[in-house]
Amino acid sequence: MNAVIAGISYRALLGRRRIWLLVLLPVVLIGLAVLVRMISGGSERIAVDFMQKFALGTILPLLGLIAGTGVIAPEIDDGTIVHLLSKPISRPVVAQTKFLVASSVLALFAAVPTLVAAYLLVGFESGIAYGFAVGALAGGLAYAALFMLLGVLTRHAVTVGIAYALIWEGVVGNFVPGARRYSIQQWAQTVADQVSSSSFLSSDLTIGFAATALLLITAGAVLWAGQRLRTFSLTGDE
Amino acid sequence: MSEPTGVIHDIGYRHYDGVRLGRRHATVALAVHSLRGIFGLGRTIRAKIIPFLIVGVMMLPAVVSIAVMALLRQKVMAYTSYGSIMQAVLAVFLAAQSPYIVAPDLRFRVLPLYLSRPVTLWDYVGAKLAAMITAMFLLLAVPLTVLYIGELVVDLPDPVKTGNYLAAMAGAAVSALLLSCIGVAIASFTPRRGLGVASVIAFYLLTSAVSTLVSATMESVNNYTASGWALMINPFFLVDAAVHVGLFGADASSPVVYPSGGGAVALQLLLVVVLIALSVIALVTRYRKAAAR
Repeated sequence: MNAVIAGISYRALLGRRRIWLLVLLPVVLIGLAVLVRMISGGSERIAVDFMQKFALGTILPLLGLIAGTGVIAPEIDDGTIVHLLSKPISRPVVAQTKFLVASSVLALFAAVPTLVAAYLLVGFESGIAYGFAVGALAGGLAYAALFMLLGVLTRHAVTVGIAYALIWEGVVGNFVPGARRYSIQQWAQTVADQVSSSSFLSSDLTIGFAATALLLITAGAVLWAGQRLRTFSLTGDE
Repeated sequence: MSEPTGVIHDIGYRHYDGVRLGRRHATVALAVHSLRGIFGLGRTIRAKIIPFLIVGVMMLPAVVSIAVMALLRQKVMAYTSYGSIMQAVLAVFLAAQSPYIVAPDLRFRVLPLYLSRPVTLWDYVGAKLAAMITAMFLLLAVPLTVLYIGELVVDLPDPVKTGNYLAAMAGAAVSALLLSCIGVAIASFTPRRGLGVASVIAFYLLTSAVSTLVSATMESVNNYTASGWALMINPFFLVDAAVHVGLFGADASSPVVYPSGGGAVALQLLLVVVLIALSVIALVTRYRKAAAR
């Protein structure tokens, strides 16, 4: 953890135009939760469905993508990462710091609004709100780590990231049940299911598998990103 | 008297006195260059991977359908539902490639250089839009045409659905126009490619998720009119309702019934036109500002 790097990353993430997208998504989430509440009147089934499809299925991957790639990809794009890497700071520490920044931003812009949205839908009934907030936090950490790693690995990190989130988790996951085992979204849902006691929320995976997978992906991605930064070579823009 | 110290050498500089091809030629050249760039032609091999992968995925249902038609002798899907089924892939292509055609020029502030030539601001914006529209149209029209040729060759017992194919091609043109204008307009607001990709995909994911969600919620309280209109938030279903169903009378490709009737179709078409106009206005306003810096 390095305070200066954290400060720079926060400024890159929260300054300028990126912040608008980071604010817009939770606002839409909470606004829609209010709308759904007004129309459906606090039905638990609809609330769970809304949280699964919209909060965990749409908003969380998007925020993860923006925060995860946002902490490192612009610096690589600009070439300013060279100044950072030429300082006597361990590269794994750079990666870990940037991961912590992305996760704290996701906790604030993804997990907290998820809690608020679920509370607006059903209150604290059968632990749905806590469940989804914890699920969003766990999923957010994994997304942050994975997308940060992508940012280090490729110039097209955002495109590869949306292809994973949209096509693999969305389309393939809907048609091929086996693909669901390897999806952060499903792992986050499993965590939410574990915390909540609602009968409308069910998951195909066991909590042991999901928690291990989340932990492995998060830790593995951060470590790999650190290792990758050690042998980083800055290639020109095509 | 001393020798001259500074000498201007005659290095044989010559004026260009050939034909000046002019503004239109420059605009066409810019459009063609942008179109080639969208598919990664004339760029590095790494820039070709993503567009050609997406083209491959778009061709997949057409190839599978032809195989099924040839082996099992039955139709798999209507032409008009091709775009709606593959909407996620089309959206990924739009998001991945529309920032490419606008972001670098904004980021390196080369707009004044373009505008110091006969090309005007409208020419520049028009060329960029034309390139993206053509790319999006090709992405959907080529698989449709391959599928149509396949149906002609396989020669099924029931008649060839030429009307449905033409409706799908018209829909492909309108959706390419609508999506490209919106996509390029959103992408032009940031000089960063990554953020541009994220913004465009956020637009698609939000509209599609919100429309499905609101539509399902309205349906659950038996408000079917509102449910149909909520689906119109998704641009793919808007074009499907306005062009395929409204103008050509094809079957809807969504599970929810669209708002129908002359008034509703007129309103949907108006919505398409207004969205395109707003995007173009936003784009030109953005470029006025960028050109002034």
